[in-house]
Amino acid sequence: MPVKWLMHFQPNQGTTLTSQVMAEACAVAESFPGVSRDGRWRSSMTFYRAVPRDQSLPAPSDLPRDLIGISLHDLPNEYLFVMRSQRLILRAHSSVQTVMDKLQSYKGRFFINFEGLQYKWGDFKLRIGKCLYNPNEALRGIVMEVEYLPLSSIDKSQRVMEEFYEIWREAVASKLLAGQFINTEVNFVEYGLGDSYTPQHTAVLYGMCVVQVIASSNKNQ
Amino acid sequence: MECVVQGIIETLHVEALEILLVGLCGAPKQRVRVHELCLKSGPNLVSSEVRLLCDLAKTTPSWTIRHVGGAMRGAGADQLSVLVRPIAESKASSTALRFFYGIGYKLDHEVLKTGFAFQFQNRGANLTVSVTSTNRMPRLHATDDAVPITPGIHLVEITAPAAPENYTEVASAIASFCEYLSPLLHLSKPGISTGIVPTAAAAAASLMSSGGGIKIL
Repeated sequence: MPVKWLMHFQPNQGTTLTSQVMAEACAVAESFPGVSRDGRWRSSMTFYRAVPRDQSLPAPSDLPRDLIGISLHDLPNEYLFVMRSQRLILRAHSSVQTVMDKLQSYKGRFFINFEGLQYKWGDFKLRIGKCLYNPNEALRGIVMEVEYLPLSSIDKSQRVMEEFYEIWREAVASKLLAGQFINTEVNFVEYGLGDSYTPQHTAVLYGMCVVQVIASSNKNQ
Repeated sequence: MECVVQGIIETLHVEALEILLVGLCGAPKQRVRVHELCLKSGPNLVSSEVRLLCDLAKTTPSWTIRHVGGAMRGAGADQLSVLVRPIAESKASSTALRFFYGIGYKLDHEVLKTGFAFQFQNRGANLTVSVTSTNRMPRLHATDDAVPITPGIHLVEITAPAAPENYTEVASAIASFCEYLSPLLHLSKPGISTGIVPTAAAAAASLMSSGGGIKIL
């Protein structure tokens, strides 16, 4: 599976994130020579909370408060769970959501959709998207997923991804966007993941990225 | 949703049953070696139970998460000779057990089921007939040291996936297939025991001497 990086837009201090940033970021991508628009993309995330046996009491502290479920745009038949505190990922068929519904021990409390435009640029696929709180569609952030198609080794792709990142940062800076894109750094080894890229790597990236997006959004409100 | 019946057979007659099933099913025998872990939610969580099945018959173990719902009730269900119940299943990665421990589930019990199974179609329904010994482990997860819980007895189970619009047809397909097995064993709804069939010994002897000359279904 091709390697991916995931970035989020960090607005400048004192500025508010608006949909205009999404349009400007797409304009940056569309200014690259030879780029072509390649449709739309959508991934979704559910934040789960434990349902305590005695619902008059708050959820016990020994139960995880950071369980998230992710449905990725390129794997419609699968579903992944991430628990950052335990460095744990579960990859399953999408029917696992039905199992969780039947168990009723965890319920989705709030939901975030990642959706936007996809571009093809040589050996790269770029996905720029809004991070939208569901159901009121409040904009929480802008993310960009960068996929390098020829390589599935994280180590071997490091240099080319860094070079792309520099190109992207310079292009964004030259268009005077009110902020910058920050790459999501993850120690995959802590999650038991190896050098060969997998959907589990993507799930961990999204799990980490969304924390940063929400923190940035709360700070700038 | 699935339809299910169960029965027991003496281990000494399992070989005869296999001969009968080979003739009836026309399908290859599949080896069964499944480590089944039953997990229950901890005292702080809403009460629920989930099963993890680790298929050890293949070179690379594969995991399934399974939730079994309560049996269908009512006049319609009572009239059926099979049990109908909702089922939710999902293939999962090998981190499934750690995952459920992590979200507050505890191991209630574990067993190792060993034996064989046949999968085939009967009257449009996809049936699975499994003949297994249920084994307990002397130490946690020690599948290599498992010993039968009821030595001398095997469990026979027939299951078939079903949907609300066709479960009566699926039930009928299972019931009709059960008749072919009736000389050797009786199958009924789980929880309703019919014991060992008196004709089993004679039927088994006949099958062993005929060497499998049974008309294929």
